[in-house]
Amino acid sequence: MFIRIEPSSSSPIYRQIMDQIRYQIAAGVLKPGDKVPSIRQLAGQLAVNQNTVLKVYNELCRERVLEVDRGNGTVVMQGNLTIPIDERRKAVAALLREAVVQAIHLEVPPEQVHALLEKEYQTILAEKNRSSHHD
Amino acid sequence: MTKAAISISNLHFAYGRHKVLDGVNLDVPEGSIFGFLGRNGAGKTTTIQVLLGLMDPQSGRCEVAGHDPQADAIAVRRAVGYVAEDQRMYDWMRIEQILQWTGSFYPTWDRAYAGQLLRRFDLPARSKIATLSKGQNTRLALLLALAHRPKTVILDDPTLGLDPIARKEFLRSVITLLQAEGATVFFSSHLLYEIEPVADWIAILDQGRIVKAAPTDELRDAVRRFILPRRDAMDLGRIPSVLDAVQRDGQWSVTLESATQDTRAALTAVAGGDVQEMGLNLDEIFEAYVIGNRGREVSPC
Repeated sequence: MFIRIEPSSSSPIYRQIMDQIRYQIAAGVLKPGDKVPSIRQLAGQLAVNQNTVLKVYNELCRERVLEVDRGNGTVVMQGNLTIPIDERRKAVAALLREAVVQAIHLEVPPEQVHALLEKEYQTILAEKNRSSHHD
Repeated sequence: MTKAAISISNLHFAYGRHKVLDGVNLDVPEGSIFGFLGRNGAGKTTTIQVLLGLMDPQSGRCEVAGHDPQADAIAVRRAVGYVAEDQRMYDWMRIEQILQWTGSFYPTWDRAYAGQLLRRFDLPARSKIATLSKGQNTRLALLLALAHRPKTVILDDPTLGLDPIARKEFLRSVITLLQAEGATVFFSSHLLYEIEPVADWIAILDQGRIVKAAPTDELRDAVRRFILPRRDAMDLGRIPSVLDAVQRDGQWSVTLESATQDTRAALTAVAGGDVQEMGLNLDEIFEAYVIGNRGREVSPC
């Protein structure tokens, strides 16, 4: 698992790690059931505090992105999402809001924002399909 | 709070009339990696030297790994691993000689572990210390500090003078050799971006006092900056915890120590308009504590 930390970012380190794990799962680099490194391994690899990695794993387990598989460590969540659909929509809406604010500032009209969104969605789906064919 | 590995209460130290430490209070939780920040001359090295019993304070007391450094410096030195700022070692000794020599001072010296660290740090046992690079020198100093398996380690600006790769390797060793074993690490630094990934606690020392001590995440979540569109002077008197307030180009930038729903609402009321909120990186947070005006000088410039 490759993760990159930007030390001077105003985004806290635990958030940077969390976002990158989420992205790798969405893009299919990490697949359901794949094992993620142990807390010690990842902390050593990135030279970050173990508690930071612990916090990331706890939060991602709470969000049901990861799960603890007894005897096998922490793995990418298998099976169906149990979070209600409106919760999931709400989480996505919060992130889209930031993108829309930026679009308004940069005067990108709504239909182009729709097109860009569609394009990003297809790009990541394509990456995901590509990585599943490699298996 | 968990037990403290190091506790400092009301420490005062002065060279003649020049006050260096002006009532330092600090608790370092057991098992934490604690970043001790301050500008050059803030008193970091003096604090560390008092903790090791190398200097006696005018007043106040400390406890380090269960011992009082002013009463029993030897007990502290046996229990603690210490790397001094820009540590000098006997140049004419070979690495294997300094291992033996240093080991003789410590009843708990672990020769097998010292050998392991020697290989891990890639140090040539037969080389003279005079011939080592800066990075090798720092790794040797760390080896000498760890081979007696201390539960508390104090490092005074350990990455000073190291190149970026050697610094990262050094910090990785701190995580894998010390945090993984449950040791407490107290280390001073002036390189903030470097501290953030490894430290789970941070204290800021300024003009001989601790101006902030908090878990790193808490600090990042609590300190926020607000941008208010307003040209004229503002009364910030009713806004609590202002660290810094400056006016520039028709906007106010107000940095709060702990932003809550109440302070956000109060700021919006004062601004009479839309308020933009942002998080800060550790450099900016440090700057707000150390050179912030605390809202005292709020007339437009």
